[in-house]
Amino acid sequence: MADAVLLNVVLYLPLLGTAALLAVPSRREDAVRQVSLAVMLVQFAITAWLYWRFDPAAGLQFETRIPWIPGWGVNYQIGLDGYNLLLVLLTAFLGPLVVAGSFTAIRKDTKLFYAMVFLVQFAMLGAFVAQDLFLFYLFWEAMMIPMFFIIGIWGGERRIYATLKFVLYTAFGSILMLAAVIYLVYSLYASAGVASFAFADLYRVRLPLPVQTLLLAAFGLSFAIKVPIVPLHTWLPDAHVEAPTAGSVILAGVLLKMGTYGFMKLGFPLFPDATQLLAPVISTLAVVSIIYGACLALVQTDIKKIIAYSSISHLGFVMLGLVSLELIGIQGAVIQMVSHGLVAAGLFLLVGMIYERCHTRDLAAYGGLAAVMPVYSVFVALLTLAAIGLPTTSGFTGEFLVLLGAFTAAWPQYERGVAYPLVVSASAVAGVVLGALYMLSFAQRFLFGAVKAPHQPLRDIDFREKIILASLVVVVFALGIFPAEPMRKTELAAREFQQLVLTSRAETRVADVRGSPGPQRAPVADSASKPTIVPR
Amino acid sequence: MSWVNILFAMAPENILLAGIIVLIGLEVAEADERSALAVSLIVLVSACFVATWLAMNGYAFDAFPGHYSVDGSTSLAKAIVLALAVPVVLISRDETEQRQFHILLAASLYGICLLLSADSFITLFLGLELMSLPVYALVLLAFRRPESAEAALKYLVLGGTATATLLMGVSLLYGGSGSLALVAFGDALRSTDTMARVAVVMIVVAFYLKAAVVPFHAWAPDAYEAAAIPVTAYMASIIKAGVLFGAVRLFGAANVTGPVVNLVALLPLLSIVWGNLAAMRQHSFRRMIAYSSIAHAGYLFYAFLGDAGGRFQAVAFYAVAYGTMNLLAFVSLPAQGDDAARDRLENLSGLYQRNPFAAVMIAIAMLSLAGIPPFPGFVAKFLIFKNVMAAGFTLYAVLGLIASYMGIYFYLRAIQYLFMSPEAPVTRRGSPHPLVLAAMLLCLMLVVPLGIFPGWFIARM
Repeated sequence: MADAVLLNVVLYLPLLGTAALLAVPSRREDAVRQVSLAVMLVQFAITAWLYWRFDPAAGLQFETRIPWIPGWGVNYQIGLDGYNLLLVLLTAFLGPLVVAGSFTAIRKDTKLFYAMVFLVQFAMLGAFVAQDLFLFYLFWEAMMIPMFFIIGIWGGERRIYATLKFVLYTAFGSILMLAAVIYLVYSLYASAGVASFAFADLYRVRLPLPVQTLLLAAFGLSFAIKVPIVPLHTWLPDAHVEAPTAGSVILAGVLLKMGTYGFMKLGFPLFPDATQLLAPVISTLAVVSIIYGACLALVQTDIKKIIAYSSISHLGFVMLGLVSLELIGIQGAVIQMVSHGLVAAGLFLLVGMIYERCHTRDLAAYGGLAAVMPVYSVFVALLTLAAIGLPTTSGFTGEFLVLLGAFTAAWPQYERGVAYPLVVSASAVAGVVLGALYMLSFAQRFLFGAVKAPHQPLRDIDFREKIILASLVVVVFALGIFPAEPMRKTELAAREFQQLVLTSRAETRVADVRGSPGPQRAPVADSASKPTIVPR
Repeated sequence: MSWVNILFAMAPENILLAGIIVLIGLEVAEADERSALAVSLIVLVSACFVATWLAMNGYAFDAFPGHYSVDGSTSLAKAIVLALAVPVVLISRDETEQRQFHILLAASLYGICLLLSADSFITLFLGLELMSLPVYALVLLAFRRPESAEAALKYLVLGGTATATLLMGVSLLYGGSGSLALVAFGDALRSTDTMARVAVVMIVVAFYLKAAVVPFHAWAPDAYEAAAIPVTAYMASIIKAGVLFGAVRLFGAANVTGPVVNLVALLPLLSIVWGNLAAMRQHSFRRMIAYSSIAHAGYLFYAFLGDAGGRFQAVAFYAVAYGTMNLLAFVSLPAQGDDAARDRLENLSGLYQRNPFAAVMIAIAMLSLAGIPPFPGFVAKFLIFKNVMAAGFTLYAVLGLIASYMGIYFYLRAIQYLFMSPEAPVTRRGSPHPLVLAAMLLCLMLVVPLGIFPGWFIARM
């Protein structure tokens, strides 16, 4: 019970932080920064405690459930499960780093900036912990607004263009998702007579295959834009390049995972038959994202763009792992989400640090930094290796497990003797090689060769920056060397996800949405139906 | 005692009537302008209070059988309309013709109250006209400049057309059914008789004209732009709510089926699309809001596709949410040197730097109008589209949602001016008048709970 309250505390701390900032006078910028950092640190501490308390044998825990709009069956329902546990922890972990990383970079409207960071943190955590579709949608949409401000106010030269593009892309997906949400809930109401938005109830909706496909497309479009999956990725480089460092870290670290999390928690399990039908398409798109993203990263001259495109490539692995529907691939996808969150956040922070010193992101302007900024260069090298997926780093664990899953994937279409999965997986391996190519060539040009930098002499990173980067690197290696611990906590969720997607819920008769609820249908008796958990 | 009951049932109207008489007396006596404002406020608040009380107690009475009746939801609708008028009065201080403004406003509100209780077409007609006539004068009243006269005339002519259309439709209906009761409209909706169908089309078109639904919307941008800010706010939120509540009364318990569906779906859909597209090109804040209100009229008429049982709830919640956010935007609009400067969107540039509170308020209003959660505009829109989909019109719901997506851009553009553009030269600085501040806080106090606890409101509608 106490832990359920703590989860609410974690969720509302950012709002409390915003309120606290209102009380601090705008002139005292240092106080604004310290208050923000303190709130974020407290939030991380509580989240870490919740992670520690998380019981791997139980499903949904630390649950709060309060009727919110009783007439519609909307509940305020939040909780932690294996799906969101690591992502909540990741969000809370990146929070203090985002705040600390902006201490020197943000000099304009400081108070508004940290308020926006708090609001986006609140919305992201809310979307992760929500166990009710209405609540999820609310947070999902709401997170767009602070991001719009962060890019639009503190961004680079083309910030207005980038931020409008970001919002218009994401909002388009959301609108179709909203239509699908309403339709889904009414299907549940029409077939079972229950008005409910709870995930657990919606997992029982039976729909004919064509309807499932349409709804998956509507949900999927929204999620695929966020991930992003090629060809819906074009907002990402603009948003990343124009965003301030903190914005890029939030985007790459957490916001993109919102898309893959959406697929894992909602898109695939809600429409299992459509997912199985479309698995080849989705896996192909995933591999296209891996390779296309890597190829684009290879030819960029803007450092931020290299990392932005590498994100597309790395999130392709997550999608491939999820859609492999193999336990090992799913678990790999979860690890890869966290790993990419850490590594991309670290790389964007590194770019931000050099940008603060030299005011350019052009790769050609740099060279031989290893000689002048040794400590900085060590971190660049370490995080580059993590991005490539060198063993003992988190990137290796994620990509390796995903590829294992993809190789053993048993999609029904391929049991007819098609060598398709092999081709897909082999292409994904090519993506790994390309990844090594662009990251190493970046590191080589950036760190080695003749010393070259626009604003010499360069000072090496200071204590604050060292702490930020060191904490990231430690976690990256911890996740690479001891992946078993987080995997143990998410295994149940991965199994549940696999069960949900592999159990057909196709309905042959088109449910009559209009009119009175049909005959009460017994809930599907599969092991996948979510266990009901009482708050501890 | 029957006449006591009648007086009691009509209490909100009676209070307004008393207020109008007092205000006319003040005008004759050339009393202080502030006293007119005070009287107007007291009248509105007490009328709203009485209407709320009637609604909470579910007071139902057939005051004039067949013509005028009161029940819980009618009183609630009156309370909503009267409450929305309070901020309008609060920001009217800067208007030149103080006393006349208050008289006309109260008269128009009286018309809306009458409209909301109508059981027959006679009362409905009286209400609609009494609602509209003072507004023609209000549009003209503001500046006495040529554009205002042109806009008011345009509004008058199109309003007159609406009246004529309505009367024609009603006569046809009477010719077919021999009844002037509103129930006859519900029967005509289901009828296959040509005359009844023509009557339905004409009556619905009259309401479209009053609510500015494409292609009957041309008066709105001009009238909104020419009028003073409080009058624009009044037209955008309260008149719209009144017309829609009137339409709810008109449709009654009849579900929309058959060929009427296209009339009730296609034109509103077109309205959403066109309103949102045209709003993108505006440089005047009021014109932008005018086109936005055309789009919102589309959403509101979408509510009529839904089941009759949920219609009042959907329209009521939408009216409250939409009215509040419109008013929030208007009351927060900072004062500038002259009215034209105040109205220019570009002059909002960098408002956050000089007046963060007003900038945040306008931003909240814009996000809410765009239907982005957690602001009340989202729940309002959700409620309407939920009902439309529940009634089986999935395609119309999806098209409407996609059309609503087109609106996001221009609301965001307004926010972009507020926060992301360099500060515009200002001709007048200074903090807003306490009354204006009070209006802002009043709207904010409604917007926040509407967004966060919509369930509480929905359960009471």
